[in-house]
Amino acid sequence: MSTQVFIFGALNGVGIGMIYFILSIGLTMIFGLMQFVNFAHGAFYMVSAYAAFAIAQWTGSVLPALLISPLLAAIFALVSERVLLQRTYNLPHEAQILITFALAILAQETVTMIFGTLGKNVPVPEMFNGVVILGGFVYPSYRLFVVAVAVVVAVVMWLAIERTRLGAMLRAAAENAEMVGLLGFDSRKIFMGAFAFGGALAGLAGALAAPLRGVEPLMGREALAIAFVVVILGGLGSFSGALLAALLIGITQSLMSMIWPGGAHLMIYGVMTMILAFRPTGLMGRS
Amino acid sequence: MTNASPRFPNGTTVAIGAILVALPWVLPSLTLASEILVVATGALSCTLLLGSVGLLSFGQGLYFGLGAYVSAILIRDFGMNASVAALAASVAGCLLAAAAGLLIVRRQGVYFVMLTLAFAQMGFFLALAFPKLTAGENGLGNVPRTTIAFGKFALSSPGLLYAFLALLCFAAFAIVQRIIASPFGSVLNSIRHNDNRSEALGYDVRRFKFAAVTIAGGIAALAGAMNTLMLSFVPLSAVDVETSERLLIASLIGGVGSPLGALVGATVLGAMSDFLSPVWPRWSMIVALLLIVVVLFLRDGLLGLGSVMGRHRKEAPNG
Repeated sequence: MSTQVFIFGALNGVGIGMIYFILSIGLTMIFGLMQFVNFAHGAFYMVSAYAAFAIAQWTGSVLPALLISPLLAAIFALVSERVLLQRTYNLPHEAQILITFALAILAQETVTMIFGTLGKNVPVPEMFNGVVILGGFVYPSYRLFVVAVAVVVAVVMWLAIERTRLGAMLRAAAENAEMVGLLGFDSRKIFMGAFAFGGALAGLAGALAAPLRGVEPLMGREALAIAFVVVILGGLGSFSGALLAALLIGITQSLMSMIWPGGAHLMIYGVMTMILAFRPTGLMGRS
Repeated sequence: MTNASPRFPNGTTVAIGAILVALPWVLPSLTLASEILVVATGALSCTLLLGSVGLLSFGQGLYFGLGAYVSAILIRDFGMNASVAALAASVAGCLLAAAAGLLIVRRQGVYFVMLTLAFAQMGFFLALAFPKLTAGENGLGNVPRTTIAFGKFALSSPGLLYAFLALLCFAAFAIVQRIIASPFGSVLNSIRHNDNRSEALGYDVRRFKFAAVTIAGGIAALAGAMNTLMLSFVPLSAVDVETSERLLIASLIGGVGSPLGALVGATVLGAMSDFLSPVWPRWSMIVALLLIVVVLFLRDGLLGLGSVMGRHRKEAPNG
């Protein structure tokens, strides 16, 4: 394999990894904030990808979906939180997992009812339909766009969490929610905000991924498993861990798909197993 | 979920036997009754983990799939009979669960749950990546109808097939009941209640969890072998995450407080599927709503319907 092919594979992998990172932030943040395990996180991603599909059908371009889909996913997450999930905050983790799992089934079945069981393609936006010539190589410009958007979002997220007052509050609440409550912040609003924000990010990941992989009802389940691998390796509640893990499995998947296409997804889990065998507590060493 | 240690054999054993005998007479088809046995046995592995040790597994489909493929290959390519194939599949399930268990039980609480799901997903992609072994999306076909043992009792008659599956199913339930009633079972129960305290009492909690995961893997693999005997075919769906989910849902809906719950849950789910799916393909929505109701209001599942009236329990969260 020539170096250039390798570099392009790695670039693709960064794009996929960034989508995985954006997908996983909400999961890890909601757990860090409220010790809440959200099995419906993949459903936020799936619903948003389908919204992107519908928007592309109506307007002829998927671009507006990059704003509207995350918004819809945020509303979906917020409504779920108010109607159902907030009732489970005092229940054991197992109960929260099962309730959110049931919610994911409901979302999946609703989407199947509206759009059918078959997968659908989402056209790449026209302005990114072409290719870019990079160092004598042809590269699809939408993929480059995805990498750019994802990097921007990841950097903005990073700055927001590490440098702003809101981020400081979120980090503090993740460390000790009770103490933040005592300081006068309304934890109910923080929780609602976390769900809306986490849902929107999962939604953005879904909208970005839709033109790359198409949409199908089972994509939420697949995304949930990927997000789990990211937080198993990166540690729940850790942003830097999530970024590292997401990039690692994104690049693994991308490079493997050039060497052994049938085993590209398998190797995501293969890498996870190997890392766990040597580092039982994941990449960052926290348990 | 009583504190008194249950006996074996007891009334539940009799009830399980009676249901297994009654199912073919009550249900409209022998096929449906056989399907229920398969799901009940698989769900039993979830019941063992959740009901006696408090471990939630979203990945029993991994062992179910392994058992299905192993038994199919042994029968088709090595000419083994059904009994040997089912036994070998269970052993294979134990071995795989032991290997996965080594990695899984090192992580606590929610990590455990996420890991079971990740490993189940890995199993699905394994089956997909090695089509020479599993025939990939086409499914592994041409598994002949073999005999029970010694070249006698061909499983070509549906009645005899049901009887043999019922026997395997009953054996699995008897083993689980026996385990729960044993001293080992009481340690598992104490871990479910409070694993820190059990650790303080000197029990190696990880080792007990590891043992439970291993046994549950063997039971799920037995269910997979039963599925192969029933279908003479292994669909790729035998190893997908949806199978894991179905087994878990069956155990929860029936109630994980008693092994009987797995059989009740599988029967309810099987009957719902049979009656509702021709009418409304999206009947899983009803299952999801039922699951929410069970988790919020019926912590002991449908089995606990009678005992929860007017009683509300709030268990301490254990992460």
